[in-house]
Amino acid sequence: MPINPQDVIKALSSVKDPDLNRDIVSLGYVKDLEVGDHRVSFTILFPTPVSTIKQQLGATAKHAVEALGVADVQVRVTSATAGGATPGGTPGTMPSAGPKHNLIPQVKNTIAVASGKGGVGKSTVAANLAIALSLTGAKVGLMDTDVYGPSVPMLMGGHEAPHVVEGKLEPPVEYGIKIISMAYFLPKDEAVIWRGPMLHKTINQFLGEVRWGALDYLLMDMPPGTGDIQLSLSQTIPLTGAVIVSTPQDLALTVASKAIAMFQKLRVPILGLVENMSYYICPECGHREGIFGHGGARAAAQQMGFPFLGEIPLDMFIRTSSDSGKPVALDATTPQGRAFQEIASAVVEQVGVANSLAAQEISIQ
Amino acid sequence: MSSTTQIAPKAIKLDAGNGTLSVQWSDGHLSLYPYQYLRDRCPCATCSEKPRATHAGPAPAAPSAFPMFGIKAIKPNRAELVGRYALQIFWNDGHSTGIYAFEHLRELCPCAECEAKAENPEVK
Repeated sequence: MPINPQDVIKALSSVKDPDLNRDIVSLGYVKDLEVGDHRVSFTILFPTPVSTIKQQLGATAKHAVEALGVADVQVRVTSATAGGATPGGTPGTMPSAGPKHNLIPQVKNTIAVASGKGGVGKSTVAANLAIALSLTGAKVGLMDTDVYGPSVPMLMGGHEAPHVVEGKLEPPVEYGIKIISMAYFLPKDEAVIWRGPMLHKTINQFLGEVRWGALDYLLMDMPPGTGDIQLSLSQTIPLTGAVIVSTPQDLALTVASKAIAMFQKLRVPILGLVENMSYYICPECGHREGIFGHGGARAAAQQMGFPFLGEIPLDMFIRTSSDSGKPVALDATTPQGRAFQEIASAVVEQVGVANSLAAQEISIQ
Repeated sequence: MSSTTQIAPKAIKLDAGNGTLSVQWSDGHLSLYPYQYLRDRCPCATCSEKPRATHAGPAPAAPSAFPMFGIKAIKPNRAELVGRYALQIFWNDGHSTGIYAFEHLRELCPCAECEAKAENPEVK
């Protein structure tokens, strides 16, 4: 019976680094995972010299995979050498095991937040996810690639403006997150009326000419659909993965599946689905109603074999917070803030999985 | 439709000898593409305006404007990865707009084993 890589990842996620009290998958230590018909092999790459405790972790990891019924498990335990790849940064950061980002070498993970249809709440999800991730201690950037309808600066307060430092753009920082958006460059009432090549050029500039610095995550709020910007992004950098946002409706999901098909064709891993506007709770009487249906995205995720990252309710508080430029995720004690925290944790886990499965950089000689 | 266990290149050699480009694939297969063969099958929009060369058949020879001067042998100067899914080849004739998606590149493999599979898709 063929071995499911997801089961292997799950088993390895039970192995914790005792120093950091986090599992070796989400820490990004697992590399070169290869799953054959009867054989599993992987490397555990520690950032610090390997002690006996760490060797024991290797044995624990081997047993965890053997417990799945795999007869042949090959584990290599090693540590980073000077000049070699370092798997971890400070605890709380997510290292990248996948292909290098040429334009943004100091950005460890790039995540596209996408959907099929417009109006499902991508920007709200992207902004709040960025904040939730940064609350875990990660360094986060947010790139608003919706050139036609840029909404991120307004969601995030819009108090700062970009300025030029040493010939490159220093992105404004709101709530600790570096942001770039077309909105910073357009007078309020002007529209961007561009064809494809201009969009491609903008993406290249947003990537190559912005001083992002060292980031753990760069989130990209995409425009709806499967057009020039999605293609430009997927061609210019090797994206770590995509988060797909949908409402529960079949209609939204049908169109979301097109975005999923696009990312699969471009070999961008699907980190998972988020169901936005999942249900409505009446602020007066507390009655819960599935205005757009409920659970459709979870069912679709299960059916397609993707992780389901979480639900966000249709909530007036989210909207009023967004409109006032104070995303709900800032307060992790509210139910809405907690919803985003849970999604952020799921995203961190899936980034770890995607990086473990990613092949090493393809060599071209 | 879930996790991608797609075949991907592990190593690409622009000069694998005898005027070929080689791709070592993740499933162990090794493909060797003669330069002209690959160039003739450039997937860019401009080239695909011309009659498309198929795996089985030869590409129609591009008419030379100045046949008496001889044509410089085609070869790749360099190649770059496109995102996570394709290879872009920069040829010495100045052409570089072709993006060879890995799936397509594997389909183009001219070896006997792949040719047999292309002709008989049911045969494993």
